[in-house]
Amino acid sequence: MEDSPIGPRAGGLYRRQNFVTALGFGIVLGFIGWLVSHQLLQGSNWGSDMVVTVTMVAWVVGFNIGMGTFNAPIRWALGHDPSHEDELYAAGVGQGSSRYWKFCTDHKVVGTQYLVLVMVLFGVGGTLAMMIRTQLITPHSSFLDPQTYNAIVTIHGMCMIIATIIMVSGPFTNFVVPIMIGAKDMAFPRLNAMSFWVVVSAVPCLLSTFFLGGVNAGWTTYAPLSVQAPPAMDAFAITIITFVVSVTVAGINTIVTVITMRAKGMTMGRLPIFVWGSVIGGALGLYAMPAFLMAMTGMITDRVTGTSFFVPQVGGSAWLWENVFWIMGHPEVYVILLPPVAALLEVASTFSRKPVFGYKVLVAGMVAIASLSIMVWAHHMFTTGWAPDLAGPFMLTTELISIPTGIIFLCVIGTIWKGSIWTRLPMYFVYLFLWNFIIGGVTGIYLSDVPADQFFHGDMFVTAHFHYTLLGGAMIGATAALCYWFPKVTARMLNERIGKVAFWMIAIGIQITYFGQFWEGFQGMPRRVAYYDPIFLRANQMSTAGAYLLMLGWIVLLYAMIHSIRHGKRAPANPWYSKTLEWHVPTPVPMENFLVDPVVTSDPYTYGEPEPEEPSRPEPELVPVGTSEQSGTGGDV
Amino acid sequence: MAITTTEHGDAHGDGAGHGDLAGSGGHHETAEQRDHKERLALWIFVGGDAVFLLLELFTWFYLRALNTGGLWRGTSCTKASPCTDGLGNPITQEIAKANPWYSVGVAALAVISALLIWAVERSSRNRDSRGVISGAAGLALLALLATVALQIYQFQVLPFTTIDGAYASTYEFFMGSTLAHLILVTFIGFGLWNRARQGRYDEGNWHRVRIIRFFAVWIAVTACVLTVVSSLFS
Repeated sequence: MEDSPIGPRAGGLYRRQNFVTALGFGIVLGFIGWLVSHQLLQGSNWGSDMVVTVTMVAWVVGFNIGMGTFNAPIRWALGHDPSHEDELYAAGVGQGSSRYWKFCTDHKVVGTQYLVLVMVLFGVGGTLAMMIRTQLITPHSSFLDPQTYNAIVTIHGMCMIIATIIMVSGPFTNFVVPIMIGAKDMAFPRLNAMSFWVVVSAVPCLLSTFFLGGVNAGWTTYAPLSVQAPPAMDAFAITIITFVVSVTVAGINTIVTVITMRAKGMTMGRLPIFVWGSVIGGALGLYAMPAFLMAMTGMITDRVTGTSFFVPQVGGSAWLWENVFWIMGHPEVYVILLPPVAALLEVASTFSRKPVFGYKVLVAGMVAIASLSIMVWAHHMFTTGWAPDLAGPFMLTTELISIPTGIIFLCVIGTIWKGSIWTRLPMYFVYLFLWNFIIGGVTGIYLSDVPADQFFHGDMFVTAHFHYTLLGGAMIGATAALCYWFPKVTARMLNERIGKVAFWMIAIGIQITYFGQFWEGFQGMPRRVAYYDPIFLRANQMSTAGAYLLMLGWIVLLYAMIHSIRHGKRAPANPWYSKTLEWHVPTPVPMENFLVDPVVTSDPYTYGEPEPEEPSRPEPELVPVGTSEQSGTGGDV
Repeated sequence: MAITTTEHGDAHGDGAGHGDLAGSGGHHETAEQRDHKERLALWIFVGGDAVFLLLELFTWFYLRALNTGGLWRGTSCTKASPCTDGLGNPITQEIAKANPWYSVGVAALAVISALLIWAVERSSRNRDSRGVISGAAGLALLALLATVALQIYQFQVLPFTTIDGAYASTYEFFMGSTLAHLILVTFIGFGLWNRARQGRYDEGNWHRVRIIRFFAVWIAVTACVLTVVSSLFS
């Protein structure tokens, strides 16, 4: 610390705040909330629901007080602006790896924090998935009782939805996008840190549902099931409301960063395609999240104050829930999908040594998908009886969205086509994406068709379809991104030998698992059932066997990551000889990313073209802030 | 991507280094650049909030048009065929309409608050004395506090509670939404007053007040829209 550029008092309160204080404040305030509400509200009409709601809100507020989320706005209001040293402290200067447990404003730290959180969420969601598949290995398994099974299905769904929404926009948009556009950080670093810690505070609320009676209404929590559910439903709603705050803040930050902080010469036409994917995904999230907030706020007021939004017996309408929920729900699919697909295009371009094919068409396609996705929500309601006259128009808009989606798919192929392909691990996942996404996409067209949807809607065909799309498509895209940017994030090369073993297990596991579920669907097996008729046995056994293989594959990939971080080869700055800016900064990436301000003079995919004349570029030197270990990210992750 | 490089300059020594936005992460950025960034962020936030407002209106008109079981305001409930409230008790008569003047009062006070914040902005821009600026900010804060108080009071004087059907539920939801927004803008108003008192606003950074004014105007607009809808389309 002798060389630290900041004084021993810099940082103020931040110095004393970390994950432990956050837990402490959260638990204490949560307990106080429980105690007070239990004393005052327990006897009222909706006592248990009110107690759970107050407790969860108190936990979230307490956790964020303990973490320092509210320090900056309170200091602003009091007129105590942070000093430059305070800012440096908040950016993690001189704190080594402890900054990963603090409210750190460095975008690279936030990205790494998100990466760990996403893996934890996938671990939880994946474990729940394995419990579901284990239950379904025989027709009348006693592994789980039906109530527990339903609760697990619900939390598996929501845990995975939360994880997939942030799986690329959290880790990689945060870590990579500022560097890609030549910026030194996100536009609002504190909001960036806030978006992370707010979502962390939501996770215990989600997991607490298992101890509060379980949410047995499915992840869509349709009314009236949601209104009749145990108090766990209140914790579920608080989880989502908290999550909405995080995603909204993160979306605003991403868009403002890209619009206002690009380096000189980084025109919109020169933005790497991943930046476009992040911005469009973020913008779509800003449209979708208010609907999520509206739905969950209405539901929780129905439960704790007796309002009548979604309960027909008291003047509400279950169709209102379905409309508001799916106004969020379908754009949300593209909030999940667009960033990983864009990341995948970066991978395809780099390893094919070719420019991204149809750059402008791709951007237009993503904009078209985002625009159309807000006009398709009612295809989730074809079988509910709502507005049958609108089934045709919604079928049309849903089928229309397959056109820009198909264009993007063709652009991935066009990027690879006749390229000088360098088949490294990230590229394997591009191929797997193409295979999976064509299956997910084509089966989606069946479901957009009203007559076919009448047959398939309630059965496992739908489950297989959206897993092919979200796991086989989006998650595989995210995995390609992980393998691609792993050297930049961790400063180590990923062990490809172990990675390839994981790849084949994942690739084969997906096919067995979800072909099994298509088979179940064609046979007519309904979704969300704990017991089934023995005629579905073979298909279920196939699906469960595939799921175990798939899970093992992810575990092997995790092992590859941990092994590589601990024992892997040090990564050079640009191991893939890529053209985008993030590969032209040192690894580990220094504080503020660039040792010299970049000026961009050409587009990001000039593979095979001679480099333009460059003025002499000074050899990189670390900026005089901390050591590389302190200021960069990597090596001590 | 071909890049050339320029000297970075003083990365950390100028106080405009990492996280200087007041956290902006903006480096070497001017006040105008920072203002541009913050204004853009605010407009995007307002866009998202507008979606929420539209969904509130959708909920109102959807439930009103559907009038499930005659329970929008209980108009079709009779003693012979009673509808029931959220507790299973019969509703045998029409639920009274809320007095619209409270909502009008809240909206009017929100508008006055926004105008007073505008006055703070103008005073800063016109190089008025610290006393004038902080006085206007103080008045804006008082107006905001009065708005919050009136909104809370309105909850006390409503002729119905949340369990009295869809009209009552949605009406109170509108009020709750307005109250949440008002509490946020009142917190900001407190900061505005406190910082104005410390002499932090002048012709060099009046645009910081403009950002707050934009937000206050948006809050006033939402309060007006919700008032008009809940008063005219009950």
